[in-house]
Amino acid sequence: MHNLIALHTRLLQLEDIFLVGFLVLTIVLASLQILLRNFFDTGIIWGDSFLRIAVLWIGMLGAMYASRDDRHISIDIGMRFLSAHIKPYVQALVFIFTAVICTIVFWYGLQLVLLELEDGQYGFARIPVWLCESIIPFAFMVIAIRYFVAAILALLNEP
Amino acid sequence: MTLAPIIIALLVLAYFGAPLFSLILAVAMLGFYYQDINLMVIPIELYRITNTPLLLALPLFTFAGYLLSESNTSHRLVRVSRAILGWFPTELSVVTVVVCAFFTAFTGATGITIIALGALLYPALTQSGYPKDYSLGLVTTSGSMGLLLPPSLPLILYVIIVQQMNLGQAITIEQAFLAGVLPTLLMLVMLFAWGLWVTRAEPVALVPFNFTELRRALREAIWEIPLPFFVLGGIYSGIFAVSEAAAVTALYVLVVEVFIYKEINLKKLVKVIQDSMTMVGGILLILGVALALTNYLIDAEVPINLFEWIKQHIDNKFTFLIVLNLFLLLLGMILDIFSAIVIMVPLVVPVAMGYGIHPIHLGIIFLANMQLGYLTPPVGMSLFIASYRFGKPITEIYRSTIPFMLLLLVSVLIITYWPELSLIFIDH
Repeated sequence: MHNLIALHTRLLQLEDIFLVGFLVLTIVLASLQILLRNFFDTGIIWGDSFLRIAVLWIGMLGAMYASRDDRHISIDIGMRFLSAHIKPYVQALVFIFTAVICTIVFWYGLQLVLLELEDGQYGFARIPVWLCESIIPFAFMVIAIRYFVAAILALLNEP
Repeated sequence: MTLAPIIIALLVLAYFGAPLFSLILAVAMLGFYYQDINLMVIPIELYRITNTPLLLALPLFTFAGYLLSESNTSHRLVRVSRAILGWFPTELSVVTVVVCAFFTAFTGATGITIIALGALLYPALTQSGYPKDYSLGLVTTSGSMGLLLPPSLPLILYVIIVQQMNLGQAITIEQAFLAGVLPTLLMLVMLFAWGLWVTRAEPVALVPFNFTELRRALREAIWEIPLPFFVLGGIYSGIFAVSEAAAVTALYVLVVEVFIYKEINLKKLVKVIQDSMTMVGGILLILGVALALTNYLIDAEVPINLFEWIKQHIDNKFTFLIVLNLFLLLLGMILDIFSAIVIMVPLVVPVAMGYGIHPIHLGIIFLANMQLGYLTPPVGMSLFIASYRFGKPITEIYRSTIPFMLLLLVSVLIITYWPELSLIFIDH
């Protein structure tokens, strides 16, 4: 159990490193491109493709973050009117719904990545398309797991 | 068909706070399923995010905005503005609106402006002798000003979605930003006039212009002064494309706040990145899944059918605009601005274009209505945030904000029925 918690902490740190790294890299590379284009009339060939894919990765990593503590955009009018008794069950139901939907996207995302793997196209530089796309199933897998766990926690915390 | 119970179930889930992205996904999946389309289309549509170079502006501007609101920029900005405008009647209320507009343009009307600036501006207003209700209403209202100015993220999002729909009328983000200038000015002038009216009996004391104070304030804020010039100047002059302006702004703000002012240490920087990208992730995710849904809706010819249906009941543009205003107002009361845009724009734009409304003008109408929705009782979001931030009962916020809401309502009507106000700088 102790090892599992340590592993989980490591994974969260890895998520931080990826997110911060991608954002900083994006800022620097995008600025560099402007500099090169305007003053030296040149540019990094794969730069713009990288930036567009980086936006997807940053967005997906951000979406994973938002699912850590259910900070996704929602309407949520009804929850505050529920009694403490029934609340955990409704909460768990909502979380399970989200988790199931994400699992479906994970599954079809995985199929897409496997298809591209066979196809062997390149996204930019020598980076294959399947690798660029892989963040989609990966992020949805993580989000699904987080919402499943949140559902279990909601039920365990029932008064 | 068995569709009705499913829709009811989804509405119930929405009511109890299911994330919007999962609801949109559920609808899109159902649609594709009934059309016998492989659901692999959903990740494919999500990947379309990478086909939109303009989207780069979203994480970069959001990051810059969060970084600015976490450092002391607001203090310095208010000090400089006051040093410049101090001699001007109701100067502090003008400063409040302008500074808040600047922050809201960066972060979208997400409540950050009220949270980051309210604590600074509300006490300053009451201490300067503005009536309490007026001050409270002004700060609450200012939290959603600036949505029509660069680098307004909601406006960028609007343009991206319209561009994705290929409606045969190309629009650019630069056009949208130009269109926002006069409507914003209109709101500013109206708020200014209201400030004069409220303080007519007991005018607030003017601060004589003090050159030393101006010099000190300028020196303190010297590194942040170029920012509006990058963003506004760069975009309006056409020197920078919007995503380029975003990159330069993000890099500049990062260097200035972390290495020059040293107000953000590395640990805090990681926190700022996490928070801002959580918001970006949330927005991008609903944008991505909404693109999938839009694709389904267009395939299923929903917008055309919707237009035909509405046309049977509403035969002229002006009636349509009234209904549109009411509808958007309601929408703005229950949905946050980003979700409202990604969900409703694909449906509303084709219909409005059918009535001969220019898509840029529609974007301005849409956002101006959303801005109003934030202030509309009982559930306008700014009202709750202000109540929470200033520790005042919600009824007090209602009372103090209502004059401002009515004022903005008038401006929204002017914006809606006077297209030239938005379109004058645009070749249309």
